[in-house]
Amino acid sequence: MPIHLLGIRHHGVGSAKNVLSRLKAIQPDIIFVEGPPEITDALKLIGQKELKPPVAIMLYDQSNPKSAIFYPFTTFSPEWVAAKFANKNNIPIRSLDLSAATSLHIKENAPDFFNIDNANSKNQKDPLSYLSDLAGFENSEKWWDFSFENNPTHFANAHFDAVFDAMSALRTNNISSILDNENSYREANMRQLIRIAQNEMYLNIAVICGAWHAPSLVDLDNTYKSDTKLLKSLPKSKIKVACTWIPWTNDRLSMQSGYGAGIASPGWYRHLWKNEEDIDIKWLSKVAKLFRKNKMDITAAHVIDALKLSRNLADIRDKSEAGLEELNDAILSTMCMGDEIKLKLIEKELIIANKIGKVPDDIPKVPLQADFEQIIKSLRLGLTESNKQLDLDLRKENDLKKSVLFHRLEILQITWANRIDNRTKGTFKESWIIRWNPTMMIQLIDLSYLGNTIEAATNAVIIKRIKEANRTKELTDLINLMIPSELNSLIPNALIELENIAAVSYDITDLMESSYPLVDLSRYGNVRKSDLTILNTIVEHLFIKIYINLPNICYGLDEENAYKLFALISKVNDGIRLIDQPAFYENWYQTLQKINNQTQIHKAIQGCVCRLLFDAQQFTESEAANHFSFALSVNNEPTHVALWIDGFLYNSGMIIIYDSRLWNLLYKWVESLEYEIFIEQLPFLRRAFSKFEYAERKQIGQKAKNGLIQEKEHIYNEIDDFDNENANLMLKRILEIAIKSN
Amino acid sequence: MNIIHQHAELQFAQELEALIQNDSGIIPPNWKMSPQSVVKYLMGGKLKNGFEISPKYIGQKRLIEIAVATLTTDRALLLYGLPGTAKSWVSEHIAAAISGDSKLLIQGTAGTSEDSIRYGWNYAKLLSEGPTENALVSTPVMNAMKNGKIARIEELTRIPADVQDTLITILSEKTLPIPELNTEIQAIKGFNIIATANNRDKGVNDLSAALKRRFSTVILPVPSSTDEEVEIVKTRVATISKHLEIPTELPSLLEIQRIVKIFRELRSGSTDDGRTKLKSPSGSMSTAEVIEVVNSGMALSAHFGDGVMKAHDVASALTGAIIKDPIQDTVVWKEYLETVVKTREDWKDIYRACKEIA
Repeated sequence: MPIHLLGIRHHGVGSAKNVLSRLKAIQPDIIFVEGPPEITDALKLIGQKELKPPVAIMLYDQSNPKSAIFYPFTTFSPEWVAAKFANKNNIPIRSLDLSAATSLHIKENAPDFFNIDNANSKNQKDPLSYLSDLAGFENSEKWWDFSFENNPTHFANAHFDAVFDAMSALRTNNISSILDNENSYREANMRQLIRIAQNEMYLNIAVICGAWHAPSLVDLDNTYKSDTKLLKSLPKSKIKVACTWIPWTNDRLSMQSGYGAGIASPGWYRHLWKNEEDIDIKWLSKVAKLFRKNKMDITAAHVIDALKLSRNLADIRDKSEAGLEELNDAILSTMCMGDEIKLKLIEKELIIANKIGKVPDDIPKVPLQADFEQIIKSLRLGLTESNKQLDLDLRKENDLKKSVLFHRLEILQITWANRIDNRTKGTFKESWIIRWNPTMMIQLIDLSYLGNTIEAATNAVIIKRIKEANRTKELTDLINLMIPSELNSLIPNALIELENIAAVSYDITDLMESSYPLVDLSRYGNVRKSDLTILNTIVEHLFIKIYINLPNICYGLDEENAYKLFALISKVNDGIRLIDQPAFYENWYQTLQKINNQTQIHKAIQGCVCRLLFDAQQFTESEAANHFSFALSVNNEPTHVALWIDGFLYNSGMIIIYDSRLWNLLYKWVESLEYEIFIEQLPFLRRAFSKFEYAERKQIGQKAKNGLIQEKEHIYNEIDDFDNENANLMLKRILEIAIKSN
Repeated sequence: MNIIHQHAELQFAQELEALIQNDSGIIPPNWKMSPQSVVKYLMGGKLKNGFEISPKYIGQKRLIEIAVATLTTDRALLLYGLPGTAKSWVSEHIAAAISGDSKLLIQGTAGTSEDSIRYGWNYAKLLSEGPTENALVSTPVMNAMKNGKIARIEELTRIPADVQDTLITILSEKTLPIPELNTEIQAIKGFNIIATANNRDKGVNDLSAALKRRFSTVILPVPSSTDEEVEIVKTRVATISKHLEIPTELPSLLEIQRIVKIFRELRSGSTDDGRTKLKSPSGSMSTAEVIEVVNSGMALSAHFGDGVMKAHDVASALTGAIIKDPIQDTVVWKEYLETVVKTREDWKDIYRACKEIA
């Protein structure tokens, strides 16, 4: 009963070539590849046209999809090659390893079971490095490459014997690996599975497994008892494992996966796999083609020179053939004038050559993934890897649905669609750029523990974030996310939570920060057809708290905080104006008046408040004049005056250009300053004026040149302005009103 | 021996001899040793019989491998890099190892003419005898072609573009036609050219596309780590001071490390710890400059000091090396002194010394 043990390196091209050659020679009646028994059914799909590598088998805990193991495959993975061969020739294929149920159980519930000493793992030598050190290689990878990955396939038998001997030599000398303990369980189960096949009367068995395991699978007779005992000691797992194929990408091949093996240059390996001879020439001509496509003049002569140089380099480095290293060096020197930047292009386009795999539609999928695919299908959105801009009109049903989907994905932190600024200002328009990346599907699958549909998953995220929020600002931000995502059912929750927080909060700045977005929301909600009546009550409560507390927190602020508050007050003021209801106005202006009339408040704030009141026409003319002259009176501390001016003029200089009374007050104040004090105040004043537009500053400068403005008594000449035409218009209006009231 | 700079093939004759004797690789026609041995000669190491080869180039072995491999192909070698990155040094040693002769050298300048690359005429003889082989004045390139050796061209990009292009035929056809004599020189195997060029100077004559294609380019970088640079300075200073017979102790490792640190920080535009941004001076801040500074510091201490290199011996050379532009660089240097040197506790001496000069 021969068992052919084909020790490989996962994703090793040479290994794959030799596996294929060997399988053809031995024509086994059953083939085993390394992997948990649960993937056996999935392996049977390999070879179907719709399953295009790179793809991965995903094994996950049905009740907790976050706990998952991935087995990636690409065209040149030995396991893929073996399975394809088996399916094509109707040879049964099975996988052998510990069951995923057990591994997942251990990972979740008993992480210390295998006793893997991670802290010590750095000190532990990689077993293969004993051999590579002896042979004088930098590391075991290079040694393996040199010894086993370049072997010609017509000696496949000898190749696997050599691999087997090398590994047995290490194992019989008790060279340990940090995974020893885990391996003993895995190998026991592998032997067990082979024994089962033997009992089923399979006679010519081929086993494709990581090279290290091969020597342990020889002795099946003497290990039966101890294996059974060992496997019984494994913890019982109740996990239901689900298995599916998912698309994978080349750059994720190098990720930690089920068999912890990855590769750095998939494009180069694919090239090795596809070509039997003249590998270096074909690679260089690919490179030349790429360079030409990118408008670089590369002639056949360049290729010839690069080829010669790479082969001579290989000679100097004692290699039988030029590898990727030599080719890169030669290309750098002969085609790129030594400039490494151009090599980056090759790395991206050829060496890594990121490709996405494809999976047939009828494969059982994670519900969340299925829901997502169904939604994009119904919205006719394609998953493309290049940028595509979508301009949505939210009045159209389909566009609205797209927008909702994009916003939901944003909440799930899947960045497929990115909002960009729209040139038109209308609230009905939204522009997005979509760009798919296959890793997003994996992200999505990772999230499937959140729920079975996109809506449910998004809801789950929002609920979690509502619970975690402890400031009203966080909640308003959340509500701002929820409305465009149409997660309206949760808005009351968020609002109630917001009320709760606001009720006990002493952090008035936090409340002020959230007030404006909330006001804005009530407006935005209409576009989105959401019901937000509850919002108004909350906004009202919020403002009441602000009215009461604002004057108190204006005391004892330092410069930095004063300016922060200053900004917030203006923001709240904007909110009030947006609401445009008298009740809100009255209370707000009363509050501001209070602040304005108190002393010992930071002068910048007072200036700002005074300005807001002035703009809202809350002062009579004489009141305003009094306030100005009070604030600007010469007896004030000059620094305070400067700060007040800064606050008052907070973003517009227009007022001093047109209000000559204010201008004169300001002018006189500056005039009254002593030279030294003026110099002292200069930075404050400069700051106040620096925020103005250039044109404004220029006008102010002009005005300053002319000095005080002589106030002329303006005689309003009624007759001048009231001509016949205006009179006729007025008469018409009066008539209309008269008719209506009748 | 009264010669200041001994040719590499003489200075390291013993090493070259040992390498030739221990060579087990395949030797290209007319080479003195196998490419592997050339690489070993440059990078240093132990031979099988225990003979120690001193490293000539401290840096990436990969680059030297590419350079040597290039010379085994049709293409010539162009060493490219900032001033002071050991381009000429590498070219001299490669030529010495391959051909046993580093003397076939053309110094490229704006005034280099075709005559000094191809061949010239002895006009007295030309007038009396007419164009004969006897009246021909050979050039290093011609000699190298005749004897199958490596010719070296320094500062290739300083040579006017039309003169540069005379190299095209030589490099592609490996032939040098002499139409006046209706004959030609055909290069013997082993002939090749190593050119150097720096990519810092403005107003250089860029190579034509046709000529570029005849060269494989290797860019020699500035040393990647402080340790590597300190190592380079240490070795070079030791050999130079031996040659110049400066009667002084070799400077302490700490002193060299300090100077290297100053140069590296100014070159990269930030302090070693990455905390402070710095301005970079206008001039080249290469390792060669560091070596100069240490050498002149040693000379000062030997002749005018107590024979031990101290901060004030280094200061003037340091200031001179850094300030190339009297206005811009003075600002750069002063800022560096005040913001970095002054704050370092054990750098007080050098701060004071530099302050005095400034």
